[in-house]
Amino acid sequence: MVVLDALNYIKANLDGSLTYRWSCRMGVCGSCGANVDGTPKLTCASFLHEFKGRTINVEPLPNFPVIKDLVVNMEDFMRKLVKIKPWIIREKETPPEQGEYQQSAEELERYQQFSSCINCMLCYSACPIYGLNEKFLGPAATALAYRYIEDSRDQGKNVRFPIVHEMEGVWECTLVGECSVVCPKGVDPMLAIQKTKILGATNALRSILMPRGGR
Amino acid sequence: MAAGVEMREEAPRVARLHAILWGIFSLGGMLAAFLLPVMIYLTGIAYPLGLWPFNGSRDPSFLVMGTLLGVLFVFVTVAGSLFHGIFRFQSALTEVGLLRLKKGLEAAGYLIIFAGIILLAYYLLVLSPSLPTL
Amino acid sequence: MTEKTFPELRRKLTSGWWTSNRHYVQYMVREWTSLFVALFSLVYIYGLSLLATGSRSAFLNLLKSPAMIAFSFIALIFTLYHAVTWFYLLGQVVPVKIGKTTSKPWQALVANLVLLIIVSYLVIWLLVLR
Repeated sequence: MVVLDALNYIKANLDGSLTYRWSCRMGVCGSCGANVDGTPKLTCASFLHEFKGRTINVEPLPNFPVIKDLVVNMEDFMRKLVKIKPWIIREKETPPEQGEYQQSAEELERYQQFSSCINCMLCYSACPIYGLNEKFLGPAATALAYRYIEDSRDQGKNVRFPIVHEMEGVWECTLVGECSVVCPKGVDPMLAIQKTKILGATNALRSILMPRGGR
Repeated sequence: MAAGVEMREEAPRVARLHAILWGIFSLGGMLAAFLLPVMIYLTGIAYPLGLWPFNGSRDPSFLVMGTLLGVLFVFVTVAGSLFHGIFRFQSALTEVGLLRLKKGLEAAGYLIIFAGIILLAYYLLVLSPSLPTL
Repeated sequence: MTEKTFPELRRKLTSGWWTSNRHYVQYMVREWTSLFVALFSLVYIYGLSLLATGSRSAFLNLLKSPAMIAFSFIALIFTLYHAVTWFYLLGQVVPVKIGKTTSKPWQALVANLVLLIIVSYLVIWLLVLR
């Protein structure tokens, strides 16, 4: 049994006004994020036997405004998700008759783990930098941007780089690392942010040393 | 939902200067990790307490700056460590509640870094002429 | 879609946010090692100012003072902690693929520690022993 079952029991039998988000109850939709005993977790993935004998504190996800009970306002995150343009950007689309864009297994491996994000926002709740500065782009959005930057089919680097490499993009991150600790899907946004920083630094250096050369 | 959201913010710009500063900060972190420990040991512990390698008849008073190579070592290590330390410390300060002073802290930090590296280079240049290369 | 406004509860992070979690505390300690890295550099530059203006004895007396020795010990401990956590971070953010396996952070820590020992000995050999 999981914390989500307990919440459902409370709503059904004790307090019908209890308000919270949930959907798939198996850890793939990302709806049920909450602070369980001080740690951001999916309530459908928090097993009750881990808390045997203790009172479990369930609070709304930190760093987001609370609308009611456990429901938080996700607008800032949603805005950032759209901002990084989470789709394949092509300079030129090839017509469907020419077939699909081919991709090797090695090319897939370069971004695959970062595509596992279920937008549950646990990483934003774990990130103190986001807690201190709401303008920070944040773990999930950057990991998703990196997922597209590294996708061999994508040609949208020039569109995405200004977004991730602006001041409130990756540069605010100081490698606390808690985002990757709480991620239920092993996305490792800390790694994505760090790799994006390296891309930013090498690009900046290249643009100074070779102002007209390169791409 | 997406319509109208993108219009209200100004176009994002790459923070090129900060990217370069971050690169220098990372390099400084490498230098501080690999070169600073031995330098602190030699200068602050081995020499005053007469420990190895300063425990014999060797004249220790030049410490590591007996050659131009040594002077270069000191410059690279101290400049890199200073940059890295100040850069990181100013962000650490903003994280413990001094966020509103961020601009002031950054300005003060870069001032200290700039002044420190200039002075470091100047002092080392003053000491260098009479030294052998290796 | 209605742009309905409703009263929201905004919870601000207090300056003691980092005490709530073991990882946050470790993070803070790691970041504050930078203070000693910077301080030692500044003290050394001050010492150099004594040396460069001709008073070698003032420089050497500074190094031999108990306060300086104590500070050096503390600075060395914090710098080594910086080095160790830096190596672990390298292992986390620059994983190396050797054949089919990817490196783990603790492996990067050990490998770089060995490198640190080698480099330190090289420095002593090149600059002092010769």
